[in-house]
Order: sequence, then structure tokens, then C-alpha cells
Amino acid sequence: MSFPTYNTDKSTELFARATKVIPSGVYGHLGPAEGQFIPVNKWPRFSEKAEGSYFWDVDGNKYIDYMCAYGPNVLGYCDPDVDAAAIAQIKLGNCTTSPSKIMIDCAELLVDTVNCADWAFFAKNGNDVTQAAIMTARAHTHRKKIIFFNGFYHGVSPMVQKIDYPGVLPEDVANAIYVNWDDIDGLKQAIEENKGEIAGLIAQPYNHGNFNDNSISSKEFWQQVRKLCDDNGIILIIDDVRAGFRLDLAGSDHYFGFKADLICFCKALANGYNMSALCGQEFLKSTVSGLSYTGSYWMSAVPFAACIATINKLKALDAPKLFLEKGTALTQGLVKAGKEHGFDLIASGAPALFYLRIANDNSLLLHQDWVAECVNRGVFFTSHHNHFINASLSDEDINRTIEIAEEAFKVVAKNHPEIF
Amino acid sequence: MTDAKTLAYINLFGILGALENLCELDEEAQELLKGKKPISIGIEVKGGPSATLTFKNSRCRMEEGCRKDCDVKLPFSSCEKFNGLIDGTVTPIPSKGFIHIPFLLKQFTGLTDILTKYLRASEEDLKDEVFFEKSTKLMFYLITVAISQIANNDEIGKFSAHYVPDGIIEVAIKDSVSATLRVEDHHFVTIKQKPQSYRSQMQFGSIKLARDLFDGNVNSLACIGDGSIEMHGQINMIDNVNRILDRVALYLA
Repeated sequence: MSFPTYNTDKSTELFARATKVIPSGVYGHLGPAEGQFIPVNKWPRFSEKAEGSYFWDVDGNKYIDYMCAYGPNVLGYCDPDVDAAAIAQIKLGNCTTSPSKIMIDCAELLVDTVNCADWAFFAKNGNDVTQAAIMTARAHTHRKKIIFFNGFYHGVSPMVQKIDYPGVLPEDVANAIYVNWDDIDGLKQAIEENKGEIAGLIAQPYNHGNFNDNSISSKEFWQQVRKLCDDNGIILIIDDVRAGFRLDLAGSDHYFGFKADLICFCKALANGYNMSALCGQEFLKSTVSGLSYTGSYWMSAVPFAACIATINKLKALDAPKLFLEKGTALTQGLVKAGKEHGFDLIASGAPALFYLRIANDNSLLLHQDWVAECVNRGVFFTSHHNHFINASLSDEDINRTIEIAEEAFKVVAKNHPEIF
Repeated sequence: MTDAKTLAYINLFGILGALENLCELDEEAQELLKGKKPISIGIEVKGGPSATLTFKNSRCRMEEGCRKDCDVKLPFSSCEKFNGLIDGTVTPIPSKGFIHIPFLLKQFTGLTDILTKYLRASEEDLKDEVFFEKSTKLMFYLITVAISQIANNDEIGKFSAHYVPDGIIEVAIKDSVSATLRVEDHHFVTIKQKPQSYRSQMQFGSIKLARDLFDGNVNSLACIGDGSIEMHGQINMIDNVNRILDRVALYLA
């Protein structure tokens, strides 16, 4: 079977229009620069509509979407149950002077669902809650320093960016300590060198950074981290913004067999409705109460309704098991297809958030070519970011993806006779 | 947010190093050197960089380190003093080769004046297409050399370099000039020629675009978005080079 290649002229035209009034046209991770669309013209830049596992771009091309809006699409775009709950709530009110009581329902559901949660504090974006978590750790311990594991991404506030990023001052990151993943000795040394000064340790549940194969940390590693934090009065913060609810509905700390002090959620909370949540243990509740930290839309009711519908549906579907099965079937199929055409495709990380890399060369050029050929035939991958499985992904979608990937392998092999 | 030592490295290897390219590109520069005997000028900066410039056959070549057998030696007691030479606030006094002072006063000063004309180009001069191209090429070489100097010396530059894996990065202007950044154990070396192969590549779509980038009229992220800058390969190398590039603007401002 042959798959037609897509034309993205309308996207290009709209992008040119966008650049006149919007910095970079599409800035941030959804944009072609940070999103690393290589080459740019193989990727759509604007969507027209979305449903289930698909979105259609402004040129009318249909994509099986493995980025899921970089995570929020966890049940499928326009999920009827979630949208119905949101629409019912919008008729009652959304952004109101006194918050809707549905906020309490949502917090109770999170407390019932998430293993380490005794309370929930709501905001809008992942960055809102990672920053809140760091502030909570500092307020509670009256200490300054925060430990990060190299390869981290915890949002965009200056305190979690790096010293060489535009607009970040050395003072903003003066209290950051960087340690390598899975390096317990390095962590012990950092704690020893900063004895009594470390407020918190913030980490994703495993190393799912960009550009490198993702590596799952062991339960033993996390047990040791937990103990070191306990022994040294360090608040252990899990940034579950990306992996949250895809590995374990009780939180990724639960998946790895430990209990975080604070845990940050966002992407998969409400199937695309905008909200985030910081959850934590009882002993930190009064500290969070004292933070001067709020936002205009943080208590809007519609996302709470969507969140409740999303979590209940994820539970009914036993979604993490589903994600594991679908992600495993997909990645095994892709790896096998690659092998048949001489490509060493490596799938790493959790299957629910698989990361792909062609390892035949060390430049990633083959990988970029292959991803571009997949996208240009209707499978939306990105070059160097982990991908996401959503619950609406069907076996038929997986099979079609593998077929397209196979054709893309053939095209890349043909374009590189010096290698294949 | 800049330091004198890094600036001295940029001034020596980037600015004075651009004399190599000036002598290749510019007839007026070649004319200044025409018929002159070969001469080497050693520059030694205490607590900073050192290099030797050799002028021969109307061309210039720079090598790292102040050669013992150089004809003229210009010592500087500090990076600040050397930076003053480039600013025009310090007059160098040779410790060796007084008989070559006329070369310093005429040819060397003449060459640096021409270089300044290209590197600090006026809007009027840039209207001339040939001048524009030469000026942009010289800027390109200066900037690619400055990237390595910042990566190796500036504290924040070193932080960025720490995240760059080993390999060759090609920085190029389409259908024009190309440079190689060789990275080994986070140490950068710029070679002002196209590499045979690369691990990552950043290519500016045109010389006009390169100029706009150098002048700060457009942003590299925006250009990557519209495809006027193409990047390929190990993107985290380029990503971090772009962070260093931000600091180049700071040093060359």
C-alpha cells in the first residue's frame, strides 16, 4: 500500500500571516522551532479540527496524532463524556466571583485517586504548580536550595530555567543544584556539600528528557532518594506534569513504589481543559495555605467538571494498562518494521510515553528524515520529544501507523544509498 | 555580564584573526601588503591569549601562541590593556622589532582600519552589494570564532558548552561561507572552512538573512520557524550554540 504525501501550503501561508502579529508565529513547544520540525515544510503548523486520535490541519490533511497536544489529549480529542460534563457546567457558570462547589468535588476526587494527596491546590499550567511546589518547599523548610536532575524540564519560570537562557539572571538560578539521574553517590555528595541548605528535590518520575533515550529509574533508586530526603529534611517533589495518569492513576510516585511529599499534575488531568493541580501530604497543607499565589482563572469551574469526567473515565478504562498495551504494540511494530529495512530504531521510556531514535548514525539525520516522512504521510511524530498514547487509539490506527512508518523507512533507505 | 579575558580572546582570535579573511577578500588590503617582505607580529597578553600574525605574499595567517622568532612582539600587561588596543584607547609598544614600527604604523594600522570599516559598517557603505557581501562574510568569521572563545572562556558560555556533545557542527550561509565548530570534551575550536561531514548543521538561508541576524534585526528562533534557517542533525548541539550566540552579541555590542 502506498500513502500519498501531504501538501502544507495553507499552513505555510497562515504561518507567514501569524509571524506578522505573533512572535515566532507559533512560539513555544507547539511551534516549528522548539518543536523541531525538520524540515519545516513537512509539518502542519495549524489545525482545523480534531477528534479521537486524529487532527486535521488547515490543508485538510488527517494525522494520527502521537503528540496529543504534548500530553493533554489523554482520552481522545473531543471526548463526548468530558465535553458533555464541560458543557453542562458552562451553562451553570465558569469563571465566577465565588468559585463553584464543583472545585471541592474535584479536590476530593484527586485526594481519593492520588496516593500521596491529602489536598489539592489548583492552577492552570504545569509551570504554575512546579513553581508553587518549589515555593512550598522553601516556605516550609526556610531553606533556599533546590536539587534538579540533569535533563530536567520543570516549566518556564526563571527559577527552573538555566543560566544561559534568555532573560534568566545568574541570581535566578543561584540556588539550583544539578545532579545526574540515577547517581546516588552524586546526590549524597550534593546533600553533604549543602547540608542544612536544601529545601527540596524536584524530579520527573523518570528521565524522559529530549535528545536522549529515555531511561526508567529503578524502584531501588527512588527508595534511596526518598530516604536521603527524609534523613535531610528535604521536600521530595515529583513533577508528574508529563507522565501523570499515564503510568498510574495514583501518581507516578506510586508506580515507582514511594510516596512524594508534593506532586504536580497538569496535562492529562482534564483531557485538554485548562487546569493543573499541586497535590501533597497533610504536613504541607498549612504551608501552601500561606503562599501568596493565585490567578484569575485558577478556580474556573468548567475544567473541574472536565477533570472529574476525565479521571472517572480513566478509572473505568483502567487507562494505564491500556496505554501500556497500546504503546507496547505500537513500539514493537515500529521497531520490527525498522529492522526489516535495516534501521536500528530504539524505542525507550514507558510505552505510554515512548521515545524514538534511529541509532544507525550518531547525527540523528536519518531519524529526522524518517520522522519527516512519517509526518508527511499522516503520522504525527516529533523528532526529539517523547510521544503520548491516548485511550481512543485503535488497533487499526496502530496498524496504519506501522504501515506508514514502513513506507517512510523505505523512502529514507532509498534516499541514502550510501548507507543502505 | 561580560569579562575582560573572554573579550580579549574574541578580540585577538576573532577581530585580529579576521585579518586572515580580510586579506583574502579585499583588494585594498592586499594592495597595502603588496611587495612587502614577510613579517610576523607576536601578541602576548598577560593572563590571556597569545598569537602570531604572519603577513606574506599579501596574505595573513594567524597561529595560536606568540612565536619566539616573531619579527615584532607586542606584549600587553593585562586583558584590559589589550582590549584597549582594539577600542583604540591603548597604543601598543613593541618589546621587540622596533625597526618594523613603520609596518605597524602604516600597513598593520591600515589593515585594521579597513577591517573596522567592514565590521562597523555604515548604512551607506552597506548599500554597495560587494561591500555588503564582504562585510557580512567577515562578520560571519568573527562570530563563528567568537562562539568558540565564549564557549571556552566565559562562565555562562562554558555552562552552555557543557551540554554540547562531541562532534562537528557546521555553521553556514547558503551558497556562501561555511565554518566548522569542532567540539571535544566541551572544548570548542573554530576552523574557518567547511567540514567534510558534520554531526549537526545550522544554515542561514541567504547572506541578507545572515546580516539581519548579526545586526539583531531578526531572531534565530523565528527564522528556524519560517525555514529561513535550517538545522539538521544533533539539534541539542545547535540549541546550545544558539545560547552562546546570544552572548556573542553581548561581547561584540
